[in-house]
Amino acid sequence: MARIESFVYAACRIGVGVSFFVLIVTVLTQVLGRTFGSSPIWTEELTRFAMLYMVAFGAGLSLRSGDLVNVDVACENTPGNWPWRLRLISATMTAMLCAYLILPAWKYVSIGAMQTSPAMTLRMDFVHFTVFGLLVTLLLFSAFRVIRMVFAGDDGKADVREDLV
Amino acid sequence: MGLSILLAVFVVGLIIGLPVAVTLGVSSLSYLLVMGIPAVVMPQKMYAGMDVFVLLSIPGFILAGNLMNRGGITERIIRFANSLVGWIRGGLGLTNVGASMLFGGITGTAVADAASIGGVMIPGMKKAGYPADFSAAVTAASSTVGPIIPPSVPMIIVGALSGISVGKMFLAGAIPGILMGLAMMVTTYLIARKKNFPKQDWQGFREIGKSFAGAFWALAMTGIILYGLLSGIATPTETAIVASVYAMVIGLFIYRELPILEIPKILVDSAVSATGILLLVGFANVFGWILVSEQIPQAIASAVLSMTDNKFLVILIINILLLLVGMFMETIAALIILFVPLLALAVAVDIEPLHFATFAVLNLMIGLTTPPLGVCLFVCAGIARLPLTPVVIAILPFLFTNILVLLLVSYVPAISTWLPSVLMP
Repeated sequence: MARIESFVYAACRIGVGVSFFVLIVTVLTQVLGRTFGSSPIWTEELTRFAMLYMVAFGAGLSLRSGDLVNVDVACENTPGNWPWRLRLISATMTAMLCAYLILPAWKYVSIGAMQTSPAMTLRMDFVHFTVFGLLVTLLLFSAFRVIRMVFAGDDGKADVREDLV
Repeated sequence: MGLSILLAVFVVGLIIGLPVAVTLGVSSLSYLLVMGIPAVVMPQKMYAGMDVFVLLSIPGFILAGNLMNRGGITERIIRFANSLVGWIRGGLGLTNVGASMLFGGITGTAVADAASIGGVMIPGMKKAGYPADFSAAVTAASSTVGPIIPPSVPMIIVGALSGISVGKMFLAGAIPGILMGLAMMVTTYLIARKKNFPKQDWQGFREIGKSFAGAFWALAMTGIILYGLLSGIATPTETAIVASVYAMVIGLFIYRELPILEIPKILVDSAVSATGILLLVGFANVFGWILVSEQIPQAIASAVLSMTDNKFLVILIINILLLLVGMFMETIAALIILFVPLLALAVAVDIEPLHFATFAVLNLMIGLTTPPLGVCLFVCAGIARLPLTPVVIAILPFLFTNILVLLLVSYVPAISTWLPSVLMP
């Protein structure tokens, strides 16, 4: 399980990095294009799509890193083992929400097949796929947390980064 | 029935510690199920919420702030602020506030400010003889100017929600942010005099010049951001990305403190931070759509207007409501959920949207330093290695000051609207 989680974690980080890099390069192309002539018409669309892919890859990671904030004052001050139990309930509910929405999200993806984006003429199911993707990564990372808590005695807390904020 | 379920699930979700974005999702889904609305509405509304052009600037500004932060600006900004005000009684406290004001012009998030400046200033102040609780309190309180002085992530979100120009929003925050910083400096000075806190020797104009030269490239980023937006040559997204490239160049070649091999990690971590916010925006868009479908904005406006249509009182009611909500709810989530309903009320009593947006953001930023969910309070108490209670007590004078500034900004619209009207007519 740990190896699968490490693989998904690495894949998602690469996905987030590539998406954000594409976003940056596209915006710079837009700025440079306009400075030295005229910018291509597809840059605005590609920037938006890159951000949506960034969110799709990053959703699970944001749960893991604690960037998906919660109100922990009440639940962390409950007696005994309750903070751990509430973290488990929280991770389970996150997984359940995503699992329930997977099919409706897929339906939404398929609706996109009937549309194309105006500038890039890209089929919109490739873009709507990002909502499906974010639910999948969120489901995976919340499921990993549940499994680690139940079977490996993990505390279920987020891996809050110390170096960046 | 549906609305009761929505609110009940929302409150329970927050209490049990479910991530705020997921709480919004679970409560919205409960509503859809009870009302028999197809769940496909959820992904559709989430997509619509996130696919907003102006939101693209959020990852860029976060990246620029992180690159600058790792590129060695914190110490330089603190040194510059210290050379200016360190010689006054309570000088390190004043330096702390001043550094937050300068830092706010670079990052746009309060937590980044609290962690970065707190990491250097809190241990430094303790070593110089300042009480730990005061050191943590002044750091937490002053960090709230970060999202008010441009650039500002909450103001970008307001721009996305309301259609108000992000450039105008940024400008509207400039004077209130400076006022808030100056008011906190006065508070610090008064406390320092009363408690006889230490002061340093005057270091001379030479040190001011030298420290300014050191901090210049970092401070120039604020200028680049404002120039980009005000001149109309760049969108907020373009400005944010250009600022990121600038921060990288400064960190690598001028300050030479940004490790080149760390850049991919900073890039990914910044994107993940931004994702947390964008996901919140996506789920909150479903929640907001439900509130609008249930005509909650109109209901709130009617309920308040049935009590009074006095503009003075309506502003007071809005502020009290936002202060209470800000105490218990994550700032961005509160903004996303409440901004549109309260804007309807504000417009009904002739409050200009730009003015309303400014005092709403300022109000919710105060929530970052109030218990039980004052994120900056937690960060600073953690750095000072103190329990929360002494920091909460020590922050009370600053809270009082910030609320006074809030009332001033709320009742004198020109403080927020004058600068945008002059520079972006």
